[in-house]
Amino acid sequence: MNSFLTRYSSTTPEADIRKAKELYGEDEDFSEVMWGSTGGFGNLASGVPMFKLPSVQDPSSFLRMHTDDHADPSCRIKIKHGTTTLAFRFQGGVIVAVDSRATAGSYVASGTVKKVIEINPYLLGTMAGGAADCQYWETYLGIQCRLHELRNRERISVAAASKYLSNLVYSYKGMGLSMGTMICGWDKTGPAIFYVDSDGTRLKGDLFSVGSGSTFAYGVLDQGYRWDLTDEEAQELGRRSIYAAGHRDAFSGNTVNLYHVKQDGWKFIGNYDVSELHYNGPGDVPGATGGGYGYDIRVAGRTSTNAPEGEAGEGQA
Amino acid sequence: MATASVYSGPGFDFTNEVRNNFLTDRGIPLPKATSTGTTIVGCLFKDGIILGADTRATEGPIVADKNCEKIHYITDNIRCCGAGTAADTEFTTALISSNMELHALSTGRKPRVVTAMTMLKQMLFRYQGHIGAALVLGGVDVTGPQLFTIHPHGSTDKLPYVTMGSGSLAAMAVFEAQWKPNMERAEALDLVCAAISAGIFNDLGSGSNVDACVITASHTEMLRNFVKPNERVQKERSYTFRRGTTEWKKEEIRALVVEEDITHITGRGTEEAMDTS
Amino acid sequence: MPDGSFAHPQQRQFNPYSDNGGTILAIAGADFTVIAGDTRQSEGYSIQTRYAPKVFRLTDRAVLAVNGFAADGNMFVKKVKQRLEWYRHAHAKDMPLRAIARLIQTMLYAQRFFPYYVYNILGGIEEDGTGAVYSFDPVGSYEREACRAAGAAQSLVQPFLDNQIYFKNQKAAPGTTHPAHLPLSDVLSIVIDSFTSATERHIEVGDGLEIYVVVAQGRSPQGLDAFRGAQELSTQPNGDRMFIIRRELKKD
Repeated sequence: MNSFLTRYSSTTPEADIRKAKELYGEDEDFSEVMWGSTGGFGNLASGVPMFKLPSVQDPSSFLRMHTDDHADPSCRIKIKHGTTTLAFRFQGGVIVAVDSRATAGSYVASGTVKKVIEINPYLLGTMAGGAADCQYWETYLGIQCRLHELRNRERISVAAASKYLSNLVYSYKGMGLSMGTMICGWDKTGPAIFYVDSDGTRLKGDLFSVGSGSTFAYGVLDQGYRWDLTDEEAQELGRRSIYAAGHRDAFSGNTVNLYHVKQDGWKFIGNYDVSELHYNGPGDVPGATGGGYGYDIRVAGRTSTNAPEGEAGEGQA
Repeated sequence: MATASVYSGPGFDFTNEVRNNFLTDRGIPLPKATSTGTTIVGCLFKDGIILGADTRATEGPIVADKNCEKIHYITDNIRCCGAGTAADTEFTTALISSNMELHALSTGRKPRVVTAMTMLKQMLFRYQGHIGAALVLGGVDVTGPQLFTIHPHGSTDKLPYVTMGSGSLAAMAVFEAQWKPNMERAEALDLVCAAISAGIFNDLGSGSNVDACVITASHTEMLRNFVKPNERVQKERSYTFRRGTTEWKKEEIRALVVEEDITHITGRGTEEAMDTS
Repeated sequence: MPDGSFAHPQQRQFNPYSDNGGTILAIAGADFTVIAGDTRQSEGYSIQTRYAPKVFRLTDRAVLAVNGFAADGNMFVKKVKQRLEWYRHAHAKDMPLRAIARLIQTMLYAQRFFPYYVYNILGGIEEDGTGAVYSFDPVGSYEREACRAAGAAQSLVQPFLDNQIYFKNQKAAPGTTHPAHLPLSDVLSIVIDSFTSATERHIEVGDGLEIYVVVAQGRSPQGLDAFRGAQELSTQPNGDRMFIIRRELKKD
């Protein structure tokens, strides 16, 4: 009804724009979302945005040629890539832990990246793969989740939110998007984690780790994981797992960002420097066992040239 | 049965050729050689030859050396400017310099520029361009002043004014506009300076200072850093660090001298037993 | 072939990109931001021009530095300025800095499949009066930081800034801590030294230096007087103040 009015009224700003369009013809650069109250917010609010494509036979191979640093290390456009993220479900909710390093080729482009994207107070998304892809689409997902709330008068479930994202990236399959993300949150069904990637995979699970450092993180995580972990133990496990990846994987590191999702939404626990964790540990935080995570503390200054007493002659004994 | 010689033969070692080609195909390129993306020139004047060069050496877009020497010694009366792969220009000129000295000793005559030129081109041609040396060779001998360019594949030119390297077009523009026969020394030196400066300021591969070398029948004068138009400005701040800025985990002091307890034994019986004379 | 056609199939690649060198840099202070860039534009070993600005004033409190492919950069700045103009017409005020940052993200991401080959650094004063720097990758991922260098000499300048601004690998003197923000005069010295040093060791950096300084409303631009030739660009007498300092760099 309202839209009927604006459509045929001749005094509203929309009508002025419509008239201008009739005079000058339609130009994709001048859509009405750039005017009025949505001016400056681009086309985010008006459904799935449109993308410019190069006028070549195969746009995705064009993109790959200019941006994919695995195919061609000397390509000009280095897209930032994120690495090592993890999330697990346990008795006390969901722990989300990530590193903060972004690399472009072999260059550490940033050591302060926020790889946990705060979609809304009950939903977190993680970032692995293309930094821009994750940041943009998870922000976009946040908008859609809010619209869902307004339309249905209840919060979106984690399953629905993750499926929205999964369907969206699937519609771009083969175009060169690169994301490996975990949508974590708390809904009517309790804590939930969904792994969604740009291939279109969507998995429900208790424990995931994504990125080049995930194997290192899994090593620590699988060893220490139990359902009945206390909150403090769980936070320490998340921190310790990302530290392991940051320590052994060249493409991960700098700092750890730790989040805990509970019934009343997510809470940011802290930011921890990986080398500080290595030498001195996380400091006085709940769950910490004290001392650095490195093995210096366990070998007590002993090395192969300086073996502990009594072990030197063991071979002969 | 033939066994591989433990002695390496003369010339280049191609042992890693196959491996390196394989790695290159797999996307692991060879490390970049330092190249003197360069401006080098030479020109004829009334009394002889003047050679000129800039002093920048680059590794890709990075300046590797801000004040390198690109005018190489061949003999007392012959010099050679090098552009291209730094190591190649350095070693080919050094090798030819040695051979020229031996040649002069065995013939008992003053060396000629054509001799050096021929040695260089024959060597470069043999290696089919794999030695990346682009040279400007100049000198004065019994036949008068001589000036050549030698390309990496072995071709040569004999001209009254020549330029080489990435700044060759900028430098040649200056020569084409201003060079004339039978210039005085001062005028020719100014021209060489202007040509090198054109390279320094307009070609990104060239920079820093102007080196020049004036060769006449009686004397060779090397003018190292003849003009320095690119001195670094003073820094705004001092960047000295406080003592103790670098953190350390532990401190350990070890004695390098191994101390031994020596028991001195004296007495007759010992002396007899130890007699080794 | 005589008719101009080819006997064999010919492969052609569409390559609309080029790299025009140069470096940009921005540092945020407590209540000011410094955004700088050199003015050389080059391609291969040739200098296209010795004066091509890479740093642009967007609003009274926002400055954008653009580096990479100059054609894409100039077009991108033009479009950002156009969108800010429309925003002014619609809202009768300048777009706030964090909103400009988000706008730049969506504009870059709209070209996700045909990217602008551009590295952006946005600097200025936030609505709460603090200095801010936002850095972007070519397809729009962005982050607020205290300092950032981008472009040809990024890998030379950024480690220097990490050491001098974030005090990385520097242990504070016993009983003291490193300052969270440096004063304006120190920041300007560090910026100038970054560029003179990058000019020494990178062939694509040089010719000229343009430094924009944005100082929050009501704060004194103390330390600026020590730098000769600072020119004021402010449009309002008691709003945020903007200055530009121009310096020569070596031309070899």
